[in-house]
Amino acid sequence: MVAVVTAFSQVAEPESQSIARALRRRDSEFIGRMVSRYHYRLLRYLVYWTSRREQAEDLVQETWLRVLEHAGQYNGRLRFEPWLFSIARNLAIDHLRKRETATARHGMRQEDEAGLNLPAPDCESPFFAAARSEDAKRIAAALGALEPIYREALLLRFQEELSLAEIAQVAGAPISTVSSRIHRGLSMLEAALGGGADAA
Amino acid sequence: MPLENHEKARSLLQRSLVEGISPEDRRWLDAHVAQCAECSRYADLSARAVRALDWFAIELDPAAALRVENVVRSRAARMRSAEAQAKSLWIGTAVAIFLTFAGSAVTWRPLAWLAGQWNLPSRVWQIAFVAFWLLPSLLLALLPLFRRRLLGEDSDRDGQIV
Repeated sequence: MVAVVTAFSQVAEPESQSIARALRRRDSEFIGRMVSRYHYRLLRYLVYWTSRREQAEDLVQETWLRVLEHAGQYNGRLRFEPWLFSIARNLAIDHLRKRETATARHGMRQEDEAGLNLPAPDCESPFFAAARSEDAKRIAAALGALEPIYREALLLRFQEELSLAEIAQVAGAPISTVSSRIHRGLSMLEAALGGGADAA
Repeated sequence: MPLENHEKARSLLQRSLVEGISPEDRRWLDAHVAQCAECSRYADLSARAVRALDWFAIELDPAAALRVENVVRSRAARMRSAEAQAKSLWIGTAVAIFLTFAGSAVTWRPLAWLAGQWNLPSRVWQIAFVAFWLLPSLLLALLPLFRRRLLGEDSDRDGQIV
C-alpha cells in the first residue's frame, strides 16, 4: 500500500508542479488543455451540487476564471483536483445561497437551516434525465432527495476516487464528517435499491 | 449465526467501500459473506449502489465546452499581457526614479555653485530645487503607474491594467 502511495506521489508530483507553473505563467495553451480535460468532471461535480445543468455550465466557467485569479495560491505540492473542486464548491454554495435568498424573497418555502437544500427532484432533474432504467429512476429519486453535501461526498469518493483526506480538503470538513456523509449517502442509495428490489 | 456477526459484516462492507479495511477484516468478511445469503445480498446491494452512480453520465455539449475553453484561454492571455505590461511599467518607474535621484545628485553641486554666485540663501535655492526639479521629475516618473486611474479607464478584476 505504502509502495502504491509512494509511486502515485512520484507520478502526481511533476504534473501538479507543471500545472502550478502554467497557472502562474498564465500559459493560455496549457490552461486551455486543462479546461478541456477537466470539463466533464467539473460539470458533473457542479450538476451534483446544483441539480441544474445550465447553472452548472455557468459555474464551470466561473470556476476557471476564479482559478486564474487565485493561481498564485496553488503551489503544486498537492494534487490539483481537490483544489479545483474546492473552488467550484465555494462558487456552488454561493450560488445556492443566492438562489435560496431569491426563493425566500418570492415568498416560497425556505429550506433547512443549512440553507443548502434543493427542491424535491422533478422530471427535469439531470439525474432523472440520465435515468434509463427502473433501478436508475429509483437511484435518481434517492440522489435528488439527498442533500448536496451527501451527493458531493458520494461523487468525490466513488466517481472522482479522491481519498477521504482529499475530500475533507475539498469540503473543508474533518475526515470523520466526510466519512459519515459517505456512509449516510450510501445507505440511502442502498435503501432506494433495496426497497425497489423488495417491491419487485 | 449470531446477530452481531451480520452487523459487523454490514459495517465492514460499507467501510471497505469508503475507507478500506485491513486484510484480516477482509478475510473474515469474505468468509462470512460466502456462507451468509443475507449479507451476500447486502454486499451485492452495496456494489450496485456504487455502480449506480455511474449511470448518471452527463452528456457533454462540445460547443459549450469549447466556449468555456475559449473564454478561459482569452482571459489567461489578457492577464498574461496585463501582467507583462505592469511588470515593464514597474521596472520603467523604478528606472525613472533612480535617474531622478541620480540626476538630482549630479545637478546639486552646479546649482549650489550658481546659488553662491547669485548670493541666494541656501534654503531658498534648495526649496526651489525640490519644487521645480525633484518633485516634477518624481511626479512624471510615477505618472504612468496611475495614468489609467487618473483617466478613469477600466481595469480588470485583479485591479491590474488591461
